[in-house]
Amino acid sequence: MSRVFNLLVLVAFGFVFAGLIGAYDERQILSALAIRYLTEVPEGLGAPNVVTGILISFRGFDTLGEVAVLFMVAASVGTLLGGKEKNAAVSAAPANVGRRPPSELVRNGAEVVLPLIFLFGAYVIMNGHLSAGGGFQGGAVVASGVMLYMLAYPRGGINHDVLSITESLAGVVYVTIGILGIVFAGGFLDSAILPRGEFGTFISAGAIPIISALLGIKVGAELSVIIDRFRS
Amino acid sequence: MAELIGSIIILVGAFFLFSAGLGLLRMPDTFTRIQAGTKASTLGNILVLAGLGVYHPDWALKLLIVAYFILMTNPLSSHALSRAAYAIRTPMTPATMYDALRDEQDKAANSGDAP
Amino acid sequence: MGLPISQILLATGFALVLTGFWGILKHRNILRIIIGFSLVDTGLHIVMVATGYITGGTAPIVDEALSIADGAARSVDPIPSALVVTAIVIGFSVTAVMLSFAIVLFQATKTLSIDRLTEQKW
Repeated sequence: MSRVFNLLVLVAFGFVFAGLIGAYDERQILSALAIRYLTEVPEGLGAPNVVTGILISFRGFDTLGEVAVLFMVAASVGTLLGGKEKNAAVSAAPANVGRRPPSELVRNGAEVVLPLIFLFGAYVIMNGHLSAGGGFQGGAVVASGVMLYMLAYPRGGINHDVLSITESLAGVVYVTIGILGIVFAGGFLDSAILPRGEFGTFISAGAIPIISALLGIKVGAELSVIIDRFRS
Repeated sequence: MAELIGSIIILVGAFFLFSAGLGLLRMPDTFTRIQAGTKASTLGNILVLAGLGVYHPDWALKLLIVAYFILMTNPLSSHALSRAAYAIRTPMTPATMYDALRDEQDKAANSGDAP
Repeated sequence: MGLPISQILLATGFALVLTGFWGILKHRNILRIIIGFSLVDTGLHIVMVATGYITGGTAPIVDEALSIADGAARSVDPIPSALVVTAIVIGFSVTAVMLSFAIVLFQATKTLSIDRLTEQKW
């Protein structure tokens, strides 16, 4: 009975989606807002990557709200899972699960691959304004590298306090740069507080590389803390 | 001509990726599923990248680096998964003949050091 | 086939959403339901990015393949891509919170099947 019901629901949704796809005409021209962004970001801000320019300067408030959402998620995961951390360390943990040493393959492979992962994460973060990349993407890569580190060296602990302080500092400096935008330039989170520089070089586009780097550090530290909570 | 060869290699890679998915559905227990998924999908990925390298010859060096990276990390992660599945004593399918890891661990425990 | 690219992408995205819905409806194990939610997220992200495609357009990054002058003429819409970057991170956060709830439920009731969770509090 429930299988018939599931199938009916799926078929109904399938009809709705097929109607949506069939009636969709591919767009031929850009909207006026998109044309304005596409001309303003390379000329006005000096950033070749239009998507990063939109995320950091024109829609900077959305990014600030997202940083707040990430912080809230780290806090909720910490509340749900971290409450018994001190007791678990004192009482006897189950002898086999989690106290086995990791296998040789994981350790040796991690030694080769970890520097590459961190280097690639740093490259993606720092090149956010020049080519595809940005703070969020690079932060996720760095957090996956930290997860591999946790798997390969289970006793070499990630210092929770250092990570929490790093992420909070990154958030505070991000908001400070926003306030500096009010003081020195057009408005909150305006990237014109630093000079525009030459188009396409590494140090260019105002404060966008710095904001990108801060976002990358904050997202990387945040996701590492969340992943560390799951390892109990 | 290079485009035709590249497209054929990409299609063969896509077939291997499809067979990885099919293997995940049809295999009887966890360990055989992990084996089917990893081997077929790694090969499918590398073939797709090789086909792209033939199609656009000036991207070939970067695609080679990406393929090396995939070859380093994909088997590593599935090895860690299957060791973890073995450690929590996931049941094996009845068709299994013998358990090499248990023999290895017993031999090492008898001679006194860790496997 | 002569289908335009954006319709192929829309069909892929909606197929993922349907697969995720089927997973949520059929399974009784909490972890598989969470995987279904994640599939629905991914499918909707693909749908959102696909609505920004302009026929014959290229990526909205100004480099040697796309100069500033015809940047506004030949590139795809950058706004859905910017929105989806935010959406992906929020999807990950929601999945993390769902998984931690599943862990706490398992520690409290020792079961992962949603058929046993019929009471309001544990």
